[in-house]
Amino acid sequence: MSLLATEIPEILLENVEMRYQTDTADVLALHNVSLDIAKGEFVSLLGPSGCGKTTLLRLMADLITPTGGNITVAGKSAREARLAQKYGIVFQSPVLYDWRKVKHNITLPLELLGVKKSIREDKAMELLELVGLQGFADKYPWQLSGGMQQRVAIARALSMEPEILLMDEPFSALDEFTRERLNEELLSVWSKVKSTIVFVTHSIPESIFLSDRVFVLSPHPGRLSAIVDIPLPRPRTAEMRNSPQFFELIARIRDSFEGV
Amino acid sequence: MKGNSVFLRDRVLPLFVWVFGLLVVWEAASWMLLHVAKAPLAQSKLPYVHEVISTLWNYGGTLLKEGSATFGNAGVGFLIGAAAGVVLAVLMSLSKTIEQLTFPYAVASQMIPILGLAPIIYGIVRDEQISRVIISGYITFFPVSLNMLRGLRSVDLSALELMHSYAAKPWAVYWKLRFPAALPGLFSGLKIAAPLAVTGAILVELMGAQHGIGVIMLRNLYYGPSNTYMFWSTVIVSALLGIVSYGLMTLIERLVAPWQPEFRPKGGSH
Repeated sequence: MSLLATEIPEILLENVEMRYQTDTADVLALHNVSLDIAKGEFVSLLGPSGCGKTTLLRLMADLITPTGGNITVAGKSAREARLAQKYGIVFQSPVLYDWRKVKHNITLPLELLGVKKSIREDKAMELLELVGLQGFADKYPWQLSGGMQQRVAIARALSMEPEILLMDEPFSALDEFTRERLNEELLSVWSKVKSTIVFVTHSIPESIFLSDRVFVLSPHPGRLSAIVDIPLPRPRTAEMRNSPQFFELIARIRDSFEGV
Repeated sequence: MKGNSVFLRDRVLPLFVWVFGLLVVWEAASWMLLHVAKAPLAQSKLPYVHEVISTLWNYGGTLLKEGSATFGNAGVGFLIGAAAGVVLAVLMSLSKTIEQLTFPYAVASQMIPILGLAPIIYGIVRDEQISRVIISGYITFFPVSLNMLRGLRSVDLSALELMHSYAAKPWAVYWKLRFPAALPGLFSGLKIAAPLAVTGAILVELMGAQHGIGVIMLRNLYYGPSNTYMFWSTVIVSALLGIVSYGLMTLIERLVAPWQPEFRPKGGSH
């Protein structure tokens, strides 16, 4: 990945610090985090609860503001990048609006941008096909399983064709089998849309299977403790999960945690 | 089609049996009171069902006309009260200051007994129609406002963050997220308020009016035992007006907010 890293980074964090004031204490959620993510790269933010991985993602999304350091997203400040719709976000829960049919959930971002209805409908059909949900356009969210709802959420995040896709433990609420299948589907979607993906997870195998690089975070205070290159070839296949190289990577990442 | 016959068997049939059974018991009890217990004014206490039904039939035109007068005024008041309730809820959801300024007064307004307020309003406006509208609106306003506000605030944080991530304008957040999310709350408010608005309108009529179901109710109560069946008929019509107003709200809710859990078929779909 050294070749990509020499280009202008798509996401750049310099000495980012995040402090929370609570009633009783001054919590240091992230301490001095610097990292860069290349355009088109798939990276994971991996770590145990409390390591600040979700906080880090929310900082990139400009849902919160850092108390120190600089964040550059797509060549702009995080705030400008959000206002320019540079990223799509997928949360841990699907966050679909109950009153909207599947297709209208997907096109919500386009609606907010004032895109014409006929174009929106076409885009919805295209995205439903991309995430394998043809025939579900007119269903309501409650009529779908958890895995399907999360695929709708991914389709929605992709609807305005963002440069960056931010994903906050999107599959953590799903069972292991569904999760592995969705991992494979996500890679197939990524190979088509070619966006930069930042994927938050607490699963070591998931981070290895998906990523070009894994950023390992450690807690108390949340900090970046290692960056692990994943040299597995692409396209990745389910069998790779059983390869010796895969297990080696698991062991290496496990060893890189500090103070857990 | 199959669902339809199941609906008939499971819902309509038991209801029919219940109502019929109740009427039979009523008729029997009425007979007992009159002929066995020989109670004074037995028919005033519990009239024969068939007599009440025949009165309802014979005076259907009058009852319908007076009932509509009541229902019409209650409806106008209800709409105005509901609109005011929604507007206040939106203002309160926008600003804590507005909530702190207005909410205590909204609560206090509900402490004034309608029985006392109705003659005051009538004394001021001197118009029975306007009085009915005002009282109905007054009763409607509070439950609608309170439930609407709860609905507007029920939106979960991630749904709001999603809007924020799309850089959505404040009006879009209201129009595409908060309002739809508040509809279930709004309809609970409307369903509570609708029958109350009808009751409120009838109450105003009891204070002295020319038209309305409450007027013939009061007259027939004063005319004594000979008008018992008519009196009971007005009570039944009043109850029906309340039921109709509630049913109407339920129907509109089904059309406007059909996604709610209670409208989903049982057993899920996946």
